[in-house]
Amino acid sequence: MRDLIHLTINGKDVEAPAGTTVLEAASSAGIFIPTLCYHEALEPEGSCRLCIVEVSGALRPGIRVSCIQEVKEGLVVETETERLQKNRRLILELLLGRSPYCKELLDLAARCGVVTSRFLTGENDDCIRCGKCVRVCRDKIGAYALCWVNRGNQRKITTDFERLSEYCIGCGSCAQVCPTGAIRMEDRGNERKIFTWGQVIARFTLEPCAQCGRPFAPKKYLERIREKAYKPKGLELVDAVCPECIKKKETMPPAVTDLSRMQFKVW
Amino acid sequence: MDVAAVDSILTKYPETKGNLISILHEVQNRFRYLPEEELRYISKKTGVPITQIYSIANFYNRFTLEPRGKNRVCVCLGTACHVKGAERIMNEMERVLGINTGESTDDLSFSLEEVRCIGACSLAPAVVINEDTHSKVTPKQIGQLLKKYQQTSSPKA
Repeated sequence: MRDLIHLTINGKDVEAPAGTTVLEAASSAGIFIPTLCYHEALEPEGSCRLCIVEVSGALRPGIRVSCIQEVKEGLVVETETERLQKNRRLILELLLGRSPYCKELLDLAARCGVVTSRFLTGENDDCIRCGKCVRVCRDKIGAYALCWVNRGNQRKITTDFERLSEYCIGCGSCAQVCPTGAIRMEDRGNERKIFTWGQVIARFTLEPCAQCGRPFAPKKYLERIREKAYKPKGLELVDAVCPECIKKKETMPPAVTDLSRMQFKVW
Repeated sequence: MDVAAVDSILTKYPETKGNLISILHEVQNRFRYLPEEELRYISKKTGVPITQIYSIANFYNRFTLEPRGKNRVCVCLGTACHVKGAERIMNEMERVLGINTGESTDDLSFSLEEVRCIGACSLAPAVVINEDTHSKVTPKQIGQLLKKYQQTSSPKA
């Protein structure tokens, strides 16, 4: 058991294990802090800046980014001061400057009272450069299909040499974690396409389900799962079955039915 | 692809971690740019994902993924040079070479770049060609200056 740290968020006493962040402590105490670039499964990067909070007490008083600020004993945190709201509105305006039609941003902006942005650039790519897709592809999937290129206002997410990626396995995690829908995945017939605002990242032919025959997953993706999945001893992994068929127990292939009857030792 | 050249560079750096930039520097010195095939080969040999190498090659100004000319012309557009009319020098360079900033001539004898202050403000407007710094350059001198480099570089090529 890790040591518990005591801090105050919006006047409420909160306990959090050492090493956690202010954002995590707040959400476990039921206090909402807006954020776009935070994901509980990923290393925080602090790039969207929306989760700013005001701190005092254990730290030099000022504004901190709560998703990368560790909790400290005796820390006093405020999440909704006037100064923060003003700053958050500015950040939203800056984010909107580049993605003026992004639904998620517009919703947040409406909630914070932002009507228009003073920083419109004429660009419209929905990407807020939070890097979630790069982080999930690199740290969780291990495919290393996405990367950052260029610097400053030219910075963007792409594949190696900006071509169809041969490293992408078509899992769609990037589209899943993207807070604004800038990276999308689309299955049409037996083809899967992953694309951003200006580039198709990867294309795949979908393999058919062994049960119903519906195309449902790319070969590379299934291979990766076979490689990574926990395989009980003496049990071969069966043919790829789509999620719908897995749910219907009666249509399960024999090996999977066996699995459900097997007694597993709890380790 | 020149496998031997890349291999000889790679053997100098048995530890890849922390040496990737040095490797890229040497590759760039050898080829005058970072060719895609060579980068993919380095990725395969060192185990560093190609996306990471591509990211680094893109991030640093020093690296280029396009073939560069034999003579690298850098026109300083820093504050002092700007005040002393570096804009006119740049325009004249573009006119004489027939290329835009950031491009290379078709015969790959020259490439033109802009830099922001080379720390030679007392020599403004300054132009750096390869390793030589030229001071107080006037638009009139440029044709002559470039001719000198054209001549010295042609026998080698």
